[in-house]
Amino acid sequence: MRFAGAGRAALLAATMIFCGAATPPPPSPPKAFQFALQNGMQVLVVPDHRAPVVTQMLWFRVGGDDDPPGLSGLAHFFEHMMFRGTKQYPGGQFALIVARNGGETNAFTTHDYTAFYEQIAKDRLPLMMRLEADRMANLDLSDNNVRTERNVVMEERRMRVDNDPQSLMSEQLAAALYLSHPYGRPVIGWPDDIRRIGRVEARDFYLHHYAPNNATLVIVGDVTPDEVRPMAEAEFGKVPARELLPRAEYAQPARMGETRLNVSRPDVKVPVFIRMYRVPSYAEATAGEAESLDVFAQLLGGDATATLYRELVVKKKLAIDAGASYDGYTRDDSSFSVYAVPRPGVSLEALEHAVDGVIAGLFSREAAPADLERAKTQLIASATYRRDNQYSLASVYGQAISIGLTVNDVEQWPDRIRAVTAESVRKAAIKDLNKIEAVSGNLRPGK
Amino acid sequence: MNVRKILASCVIALAAFAPQFARAVDVKVVPAAKGVEVWFVEDHTVPVVTMSASIPAGSVYDPRGKEGLAAMAAALMDEGAGKMNSDAYHTALGNKAIQLSASPSRDYTVVRVVTLAENAKEAFQLLGLAIARPRFDPDAIQRIRAQMIESIKQEEQDPPTVAGKAFSRLFFANHPYAHPVGGDIDTLSAITQNDLRQFAHAHWVRGGMKVAVSGDIDEATLKTLLGAAFDALPATRPAPPPNVARLGAPGVHVVPMPVPQPTIEFGLPGILRADKDFIPAYVANYILGGGGFSSQLMKEVREKRGLTYGIDTDLNTYSKAGVFVGQVATKKESVKQTIDVIRQVMSNFVDKGASTAELTDAKTYLTGSFPLAFDSNTGIAAQLNAFQRVGLAPDYIVKRNDMIEAVTHDDIKRVAKRLFNPAKMTIVVAGGITDAKAPAKSAP
Repeated sequence: MRFAGAGRAALLAATMIFCGAATPPPPSPPKAFQFALQNGMQVLVVPDHRAPVVTQMLWFRVGGDDDPPGLSGLAHFFEHMMFRGTKQYPGGQFALIVARNGGETNAFTTHDYTAFYEQIAKDRLPLMMRLEADRMANLDLSDNNVRTERNVVMEERRMRVDNDPQSLMSEQLAAALYLSHPYGRPVIGWPDDIRRIGRVEARDFYLHHYAPNNATLVIVGDVTPDEVRPMAEAEFGKVPARELLPRAEYAQPARMGETRLNVSRPDVKVPVFIRMYRVPSYAEATAGEAESLDVFAQLLGGDATATLYRELVVKKKLAIDAGASYDGYTRDDSSFSVYAVPRPGVSLEALEHAVDGVIAGLFSREAAPADLERAKTQLIASATYRRDNQYSLASVYGQAISIGLTVNDVEQWPDRIRAVTAESVRKAAIKDLNKIEAVSGNLRPGK
Repeated sequence: MNVRKILASCVIALAAFAPQFARAVDVKVVPAAKGVEVWFVEDHTVPVVTMSASIPAGSVYDPRGKEGLAAMAAALMDEGAGKMNSDAYHTALGNKAIQLSASPSRDYTVVRVVTLAENAKEAFQLLGLAIARPRFDPDAIQRIRAQMIESIKQEEQDPPTVAGKAFSRLFFANHPYAHPVGGDIDTLSAITQNDLRQFAHAHWVRGGMKVAVSGDIDEATLKTLLGAAFDALPATRPAPPPNVARLGAPGVHVVPMPVPQPTIEFGLPGILRADKDFIPAYVANYILGGGGFSSQLMKEVREKRGLTYGIDTDLNTYSKAGVFVGQVATKKESVKQTIDVIRQVMSNFVDKGASTAELTDAKTYLTGSFPLAFDSNTGIAAQLNAFQRVGLAPDYIVKRNDMIEAVTHDDIKRVAKRLFNPAKMTIVVAGGITDAKAPAKSAP
């Protein structure tokens, strides 16, 4: 493979990664090509020529973690401000131009990163790059824009959180779980903090975090690296690097005791038990540990053949539903969640006891070979299913790179899941599903 | 490729995209499975096969007193078939990472299968078994019924769902479109194993079934697998649902809920898919409220006034009715203002129609974005099956963008006047109106 612009002094030496040469199953994994611009922006290209369409995703290494004290929600608020216009494309022009060209656009923010994307006809990619490069450097942050957008965000918070008792409890569980670490602050922000966000705070945030040297561009679709490289250089290459505010490191002190949240509210119609364990993420875990947690989550609560469902829903009939999940793609400690909804007449206490029984059972003996194999098969297949869609394919790469993993980590993940054993699953579960490192919540109807 | 050329081409070539695309999606009509209409796109890029099949098993066929029957049957589709009980069936799917789901809606139940290409044979075998030889074991019925009832209770705290259900009850009155697809606690409790068996026998049938498949499989293999899956089904077809007498219950209806942010659902009689003005109406809806950040409603309600996170309108087309419907959520102090703004925007649209820029922008978006739905096997199967359900032919994919290009300002004015009458709106508020001066009635 030869890049059109290769050899130019303007570009850093390109790291090209062709992956998965020797994996056993025949389907060839997508080839991701990676290079960097001189201003420090990372670029990743994953060709997929099925439709004449491309997805551009721009990932910034900034998120809720970087909200200053007393201003939780600023990173998310800023994601909104990125759609409020620049000198060259004022007002809502960004979204209008994308739509006028037959494209879709949106954005999302987590504690670790903020990402913006457009999906559009391939011949509009240079225009999309020009628009993204423009708003990376030239945003218009007038008072009026800030005030209106703050109201929009308050409505978003009411919709996603305040209207929904389960979301409210999850927000408080995270606050209790992560102690003083910013993962305990909601990404959307506490209402009092959102109200404090003003033009000055927004401007500071922009200048310190929105720069090419803090971003990864992911392009998936009907393009080649040869095409993307000169375009990216022409549009993003002219945005100067900025001095970034270094991301703060936060202590993650060991917890001293099991923590519990009992919530009764009149707006709750269905009781639920939720427990969140603080566990290592892919970015921190020892070799194979996070993969083992993924397999354990699938075995414990991934589907209707998982142990929680079989034992509590099908056999003992204590629960309406029960499941587990592990979100390992974070920079710092992530969470492993277990939930169960009781059958009418079953107390949350009895249900929790039964959940603990199921977990203890999986600690005491290794998973049956057929169950382990099924869990692994489903996880490995999920990697193939994600490749069917530009959005999910671009997300997998962008997310991994934004939390400090590499293209290799993404592409070798199926092999590493294959290598997980019943013993490694049991060991990781015993080590990481520690009730002292957990917060349990009971949500029930009441006053 | 030359950089300057790329930049020049992107500024000018706004509409050059559609024709190129029409050739890119090669839809074959496959004569498979006796009488079933199968559309197929072969693509070997990703080793995945997806299928979307629509069967005439929507909630419109629920018997009175057994509302939710279609949905319960759908929820039981993967709960045991042939010799396999629920756990054995789920294990068989899981062992091969086969995804099978059945989603009930008003006219159809849509069955989706996603499988790795190497497991396509097992996937279609399991699908055939589920649809032709469902067990409806008492244990599974009990479990699924309990889940559906708890989910209805859960929805009672969710303003968008409460608003949507109340809207349909008021809007469709006595027609079977009025009840929630998922039924009610009482009616779910009344459903028996025998009801489920009879329903499946009458509605999980080859007559009227529409199938779309996309992915890594060849036509001959697909024919064999579809035949094996569906040939054993009855070729009968259920009698069509009753016609709709009247639509709408003009006025503001409040369903009280203790929430900080009510949801407003508003709507009017819409347009049938077969109506010759459907495409102009589709474009008009985009300009008024369907076009995200480009729509008049989003500009006025969100961008200018910050009243909401989002407002969206749609033209829902059922086999017997069309509905223009929109949804917006805002804090209870601004419900009244939001309704006023919506009414003003609609009435202004009826008076003035669309500006030249709005119509042009709508066309370039609607034509240019059409291919985005075809970027994945899952997207292709879903999109083709949606066209099949409303009775379109495969060549619609080629013709569609020309039909949109042909829409004129007069067309927009005509359909706007026909459809968007703010005085006739049925408006449901799930939550409360604290500044209400509007004449509020209670919803049933």
